[in-house]
Amino acid sequence: MRNKSFLSKIFIMFVLSGILIVAGCSSNDGGDSGATSDQTVVDVFQFKVEFKDQFENLVAQYQEENPDIKINVQTVGGGNDYAASLKSSFAAGNEPDIFNVGGPTEVEEYREYLTDLSDTGAAEAALEGTLSGVTDGDEILGLPYSQEGYGYIYNKEIFNQAGINAEELTTYEALEEAFATLDSQKEELGLDAVIALPAKELWVMGNHLANTYIASDFNDDILEAYEAGTIPFSKSDELQRMLDLQNEYSVQPVLSLDYSQQVEQLFSTGKVALIQQGNWIYPTVEQMDADFAENGIGMIPIPVDGLEGHLPVGVPQYWVVNSNADDATQQAAKDFLDWMYTSDAGKELVLNEFKFIPAYEGYDTEQISDPLSQDVYKHASEGNTIGWVFMASPVGWQEDSLAVGMQRYLSGDITWEQVIEQSRADWENSRK
Amino acid sequence: MNEVWFMENIFERVEVLVLKNRSLSFWLFVTPTLLALGLVVFVPFIYGFIFSFTDWNGLRATQFLGMEHYINLFQDREFLNSIWFTIKFAVVSIILVNVIGLGLALLVTQKMKSSNILRTVFFMPNLIGGLILGFIWQFIFISAFDSVGSLLGIEWLQGWLSTTGTGFWGLVILNTWQYGGYIMIIYIAYLEGVPGELIEAAEIDGANPFQRFWNVTFPLIAPAFTISLFLTLSNAFKLYDQNLALTGGGPYNSTQMVAMDIYNTAFSDYNMAYAQAKAVIFFILVAAVALTQVYYNKKREVDL
Repeated sequence: MRNKSFLSKIFIMFVLSGILIVAGCSSNDGGDSGATSDQTVVDVFQFKVEFKDQFENLVAQYQEENPDIKINVQTVGGGNDYAASLKSSFAAGNEPDIFNVGGPTEVEEYREYLTDLSDTGAAEAALEGTLSGVTDGDEILGLPYSQEGYGYIYNKEIFNQAGINAEELTTYEALEEAFATLDSQKEELGLDAVIALPAKELWVMGNHLANTYIASDFNDDILEAYEAGTIPFSKSDELQRMLDLQNEYSVQPVLSLDYSQQVEQLFSTGKVALIQQGNWIYPTVEQMDADFAENGIGMIPIPVDGLEGHLPVGVPQYWVVNSNADDATQQAAKDFLDWMYTSDAGKELVLNEFKFIPAYEGYDTEQISDPLSQDVYKHASEGNTIGWVFMASPVGWQEDSLAVGMQRYLSGDITWEQVIEQSRADWENSRK
Repeated sequence: MNEVWFMENIFERVEVLVLKNRSLSFWLFVTPTLLALGLVVFVPFIYGFIFSFTDWNGLRATQFLGMEHYINLFQDREFLNSIWFTIKFAVVSIILVNVIGLGLALLVTQKMKSSNILRTVFFMPNLIGGLILGFIWQFIFISAFDSVGSLLGIEWLQGWLSTTGTGFWGLVILNTWQYGGYIMIIYIAYLEGVPGELIEAAEIDGANPFQRFWNVTFPLIAPAFTISLFLTLSNAFKLYDQNLALTGGGPYNSTQMVAMDIYNTAFSDYNMAYAQAKAVIFFILVAAVALTQVYYNKKREVDL
């Protein structure tokens, strides 16, 4: 009797579990949001939240022209969250067909999932140098999103009032003098300080500021940086000098100053004369004050000795196609990417809706709408650029090692020599 | 209040579950939950434990490394710092949250007209999400404190969150403000259960208000301490969203708590297996502290 009731318990448990599992699965139907059987479905998993709506419009337009293709777009925002969600969807076996990678480090991580894209029109049209982070031998594994650049973004009106010509600030000495001039006229110009250094944002210091002075260590080449066993830091004195200058003339305390304070609270409202940022701040400034954004701001390079007039320009993110997808899906994914970047309708949207600085040939660059992007594009097309080698430093090194060290230096915790020593040791350790 | 009920009953439940032979209907009801819990908690936990001995990167594990991660852990300054910071934070905030929670509870159980409104007001911060709270307090610490400080010339009000010390106290203040009201509710429940005749008897015997509280009320609400300490303890150790929103670990990762350190190791350094090893150590630490605490408090309740 006892045995029997035990068995029936087990039986009931299994039945119940079965019901649960079946119930769980059945709700999964229609997950592909209504694709009909003769359609090829392409799942896109992308990270740029800022252009989600515009991108979905582009997808809708593409689907209208190609009724046999069904594209599902999923957008997950911001650096870390994207990487985490992408990883978990791979781990769960729910792999997207098109997704994004940031540079050589992620290319290596996802290497076995990446299809060769060298047969696409977009790969051929890509501007020189924009593919270096995603090339493996003959294979081109990714297609660039766009180009981005950063430097000092300044308030034209304040500079005019102070009698400073921004175009002439090509050397450190000139910049220092301009800072002093602005500082002496703070009252009249209505400034809180000359500049806002958001030292809380590790990426502003560790990625962007530092990159300006370490790119030449690797000849501006992403792949060279990716393979380097150590980092020479040959311009570390210049980096220190610039950081000190920014800190001296910044709104204090710098260590709790963040990106939104820098761009929205201080720069857009004219409380600082310039900030170190990139063309991506344009939409934010535009929201705060459209007229100011359109007519009142410009970008100049961060002065580096021997590289006067060079602006750091790079590719923030790449599109890649999953090699595990079946051939038809892969082809559909490639066609879609090609259409987006090389067809007339696609180009139009990329330029005017996405407001991208194109990383491809054959665009009417007169149409680049905002002044910051124009400045970046001008430098890029003239070849006056500094490479974004920070895309190829050891994972997390820029922020967790170098930028954290810089924060310590700013707080007086350690000396500059210790920052350099520690960062170099960390680089060497992770490249062993 | 589910957690309270849960904590109060868990020991009895476990006893019942283990010791007594249960009927068919018992298993009928308990199986689905048990299974769900197993699938989303126990199975991933075991997986994680196994992965912590490999070089798992989130996608695949190629070799078995044995104890390597665990050995490296104890030389990892960043991780040890974050543990030490978390422990300091936990000690200070547990004391403050409970003292303030009990204080508020005593206040609103007095016969006052406004006590119902006050209860609601004190409980309110707990209804706001941690991230939003973090950003609100960030504004208060950075902008409001600074304005008041520069207006009145008070130096220590300026530059909050830009040093480790102010970051620490910022977190403590935020956490106390948020959880004080929640813990207050628990104390209220027990304070209202204290029989009036005992207090009255003590009063007739000539006990002053402090003696009445210390010798009569306090022992009677001992179970509330067990629950509150457990809740605040596990909460303080696992704090993540407030930490992320308020300081983001800065300056120089010195206000980074363990949960955040683990997350960053996994998702910004892509060091999944190493992060797993940290998580295992973290689990052991929290479990050990929490269980010891509950064990001693339970014993003390009986003694009292």
